[in-house]
Amino acid sequence: MEQIYVEKTASRGIAVAPVYLYLEPDLTPDGEKIPDTEVQAELEKFAAAKNTVINELKQLAEKNEIFAAHLEIADDFMLQDSVENKVKGELKNIQLAVSETIDEFAVIFDSMDDAYMKERAADVKDIGKRFMAALKGVKLPDLGGITEPSVVVARDMYPSDTVKIDTAFVKGILTEEGGVTSHVSIIAKSMGIPTLVGVKGILSKVQDGETVCMDAGAGCVVVQPDAENVRIYQEKKEAYEAERARLESLRGTPAVTKDGKRIYLCANVGNVQDIKNALPMNIDGVGLFRSEFLYMQNTHFPTEEEQYTVYKEAAELIPSELTIRTLDIGGDKELSYYEFEKEENPFLGWRAIRISLDMKDMFKAQLRAILRASAFGHVRIMFPMIISLDELRDAKALVEECKQELRAEGVAFDEEIEMGMMIETPASVILAEEFAREADFFSIGTNDLTQYILAVDRGNKKIAKKYDYFNPAVVKAIGRVIEAGHKEGIKVGMCGEMAGDQKAVELLLDLGLDEFSMSAGSVDYVREQILNRK
Amino acid sequence: MVSQKVTVTNPTGIHARPASNLAKVAGPFKSQVILVVGEKRVQAKSVLNLMAAAIKTGTELVVECDGEDEEAALKAVVEAIESGLGE
Repeated sequence: MEQIYVEKTASRGIAVAPVYLYLEPDLTPDGEKIPDTEVQAELEKFAAAKNTVINELKQLAEKNEIFAAHLEIADDFMLQDSVENKVKGELKNIQLAVSETIDEFAVIFDSMDDAYMKERAADVKDIGKRFMAALKGVKLPDLGGITEPSVVVARDMYPSDTVKIDTAFVKGILTEEGGVTSHVSIIAKSMGIPTLVGVKGILSKVQDGETVCMDAGAGCVVVQPDAENVRIYQEKKEAYEAERARLESLRGTPAVTKDGKRIYLCANVGNVQDIKNALPMNIDGVGLFRSEFLYMQNTHFPTEEEQYTVYKEAAELIPSELTIRTLDIGGDKELSYYEFEKEENPFLGWRAIRISLDMKDMFKAQLRAILRASAFGHVRIMFPMIISLDELRDAKALVEECKQELRAEGVAFDEEIEMGMMIETPASVILAEEFAREADFFSIGTNDLTQYILAVDRGNKKIAKKYDYFNPAVVKAIGRVIEAGHKEGIKVGMCGEMAGDQKAVELLLDLGLDEFSMSAGSVDYVREQILNRK
Repeated sequence: MVSQKVTVTNPTGIHARPASNLAKVAGPFKSQVILVVGEKRVQAKSVLNLMAAAIKTGTELVVECDGEDEEAALKAVVEAIESGLGE
């Protein structure tokens, strides 16, 4: 018996099942040179292998478009050229020629300063493996062949692996490499398979068929468990599943408190995939769409068209409410393609709405994209970091300017689009009554609000205990803001961590909060708290 | 051999999807199709080569076509780049 701990969870859940060791056969190329006379024979082997690979990929491409891209690469003439040159020119055997060619292309993509292109390196390697397996006449392991409950243990997993996962049999995943934002983590989460990645040493510690216990939420794996371990984990698993079933059974019930107030439960998201993941929780909308990820995971300021495509898809996915926060960069969030001046106090510096109002063209591209998307759902615009009425008015005036342009162009948008603001600065709390007359809604961002009200850096470990949204100063501020909003008849929501904290639910309901917006994983728990409130 | 100067205008440059579209345009021609970008010579029929070249938006490049259908190839490739490569 041995326990292994991992710091971060890729996908929660508990599993107890035999290991399916998902290891590739040895695909190391033959290293020998060939005589002149063998060149033609080697090239024929390549032609045959290519044929096999292309047929495999054609079948896969019917189910998943990722493989259409693989197909193009496998059929690329530069790949073929490079392989032929190595065989004809350098008299390398075909396995070595293919392996070196693949490595060369993978290195190029890997070294690119662009996350998207780096992922293409994985695609190229994936194709390389198919070629090598075809050349060596070996079969690659096949997850589609698993027919009984198993925990898959692998080095890492690629798109061509995960596409074959059948959730009826794959009960857990453990990988030696990879991070919580890697492909396998994202897929596992969307399929609800308990998963831990970056489990150092796991490959050498388990045998195929041996039982393994894992609690992904706690980041714990037990290898070679004794009977007691198995019993404990089985119990944990049953308790966890019972809890999940109980929470899921509440999803159909709207969050109405016992005294009859309808509370809106929303999700905070960073992209379209997050919305898809949150939809099964039966959310009432998106209370915070962090548009900065569109800017951060990019090589340039995203164009109006690029943003429109994303916002439109989001608006159609969640027609009830989509609150898009305009760009919130600066502070601790930087862009790879824009050089920010070093600042003494970045959190008190050039960030969020301050940047947007200074870079009007960039801001207008975003506002136009949001307005155009508003024709496809219930879209709301939210401005971050507002400290003065002038800022709110300037931002609203720009929206008006964009509306006029769109009208003149004959482009559809929601004329009545709501424009609200984040409450995250002490100034916005102090002026809440004035703001409430001009904003269509408030959303309290407790993460920044707490740090600014208490003058406590939320990243500083030494004072971590002082960073506390239950501090009466913060609680009173929240109460004030809700009161001010209600006096003017506007909805007040919250999109900071506090909104997803079960310990805060009762307090926030007492203060009169209308909308709770949180990461999708907390929605079920907060709903239960609201329904059970005395 | 024929050649023509052209500027890449689509917002993401010759990235994944645009690279694939360009290779599809150049592919069927018998002529060799090369993009000359500064010192680099990029094979326009190869998705791999195009993606690896990471040609950004705003880049000025020369399209070179050499072969029996070079005029038609040049026309098609220049048009594809100018029209934004499907973006």
